[in-house]
Amino acid sequence: MPHRADELSDEQLMDQLAGQEEVGAALSALYDRYSRTVFGVGVKLLGDRSSAEELVQEVFLKVWRSSHTFDSSRGSFSTWLYRVTRNLASDSYRKRTRRVDLVSDKDPFILATRDSSPGPQEIVDDSWLSWRMSRALEGLGAAHREVIELAYFQGLSQREISQRTGVPLGTVKTRTSSAMKRLRAGLAGEDALQEDRR
Amino acid sequence: MMKCAEVHPNLGAFVLGGLDSEEETEVRRHLAFCPSCREKLGEFEEVSQALKVAPPLADPPSYLKDQILSYVRAEEPSPSHEELSSSRDSRSKNLPLLVPGVAAAALVAVVALGIFFGLHAEPPIATIQLTPVEKENYWGVAELHPQPSGNQQVELKLNNLDEPGPDSYYEAWFSSGEEYIGAGTFTVTDSGQTDVVLTAPPQVQNYPTFLITEQSATGDTAPSKKVVLRGEAP
Repeated sequence: MPHRADELSDEQLMDQLAGQEEVGAALSALYDRYSRTVFGVGVKLLGDRSSAEELVQEVFLKVWRSSHTFDSSRGSFSTWLYRVTRNLASDSYRKRTRRVDLVSDKDPFILATRDSSPGPQEIVDDSWLSWRMSRALEGLGAAHREVIELAYFQGLSQREISQRTGVPLGTVKTRTSSAMKRLRAGLAGEDALQEDRR
Repeated sequence: MMKCAEVHPNLGAFVLGGLDSEEETEVRRHLAFCPSCREKLGEFEEVSQALKVAPPLADPPSYLKDQILSYVRAEEPSPSHEELSSSRDSRSKNLPLLVPGVAAAALVAVVALGIFFGLHAEPPIATIQLTPVEKENYWGVAELHPQPSGNQQVELKLNNLDEPGPDSYYEAWFSSGEEYIGAGTFTVTDSGQTDVVLTAPPQVQNYPTFLITEQSATGDTAPSKKVVLRGEAP
């Protein structure tokens, strides 16, 4: 009996895409697992939601078109997808650093100038850590993700989290420490995947 | 003073700054004398540092997924298309039942995606055959599609290009022989087929030579001498 797409590993889904089997279901499952990470890293790298939305489209179309080039023996899907995302984000960044001057004297020559903003290398420096942290956050259960979101991203105290969620203060504290442990394990896991690729 | 078992559940909140001031003071007092808890604290501090570069926890707009999947389904031949085609030939009586729903869905998909992805309904006005300059296995075509704005959409279908060197990328150019117009930059992540859509200004119709160069991200922004593919407009 065939498996549902959401029960398959990333690598099995890529095999399906490469073999043109259940393409829609396979790509849909991969999108559900990774689109938040691609989008979030895209916002961080490119600075705005609109560019990040374009990046999400480009990345998942690339996943579909280049599925046959993915080799699971060389590394995980997550690492491969990170490289695709980083490269496409760098392309997008470079396009934006070029300015076309077509109106000054009707000379069609394009002035391929650079501005003073950080170069492609700078914008991707933190991106691997950013990607790993996003994957670690995605790997948390809802309860653990909630306390991290409220404590770190919204800056609430443990007591405020307890009041807002109705969860006893002691449980909030335990969940926060447990979530931090899981994040650490998640980060280490993505590190190990990267080492595998090298 | 707090014991280790009492401190451990508080360490996550301590690192994130979410304890009451009295609790924080108690934890600090314990940490001053407990190497084991300090070690655990160090692990949590690493996570806290990494959280600083965490991307925002946000979903992309819900319509994006549908657009991507519709595009893929429209591009990818599927058994249902073949069935539809064969039923047109041999069972024309079934057409009124089979075609409208599928055709309407396909039309909506094509129109919506054409607008969304900037695709073109018209055939290219010119197809430039690209030939390799150094590496013989490189080849491809550049199709030019005029846009209502007057710009030219350049659809590149390239084969076997290697990933550019470190800190390098590819750039497409139109040339008159003396002047160059950049049509956009791209990279490839894997050997195989690379499809790229770029946009060039209307003036490129007077620039008959098409080049793809490998550019250094840290070097000059003028066309480099490292031409990988070239072609002439017919």
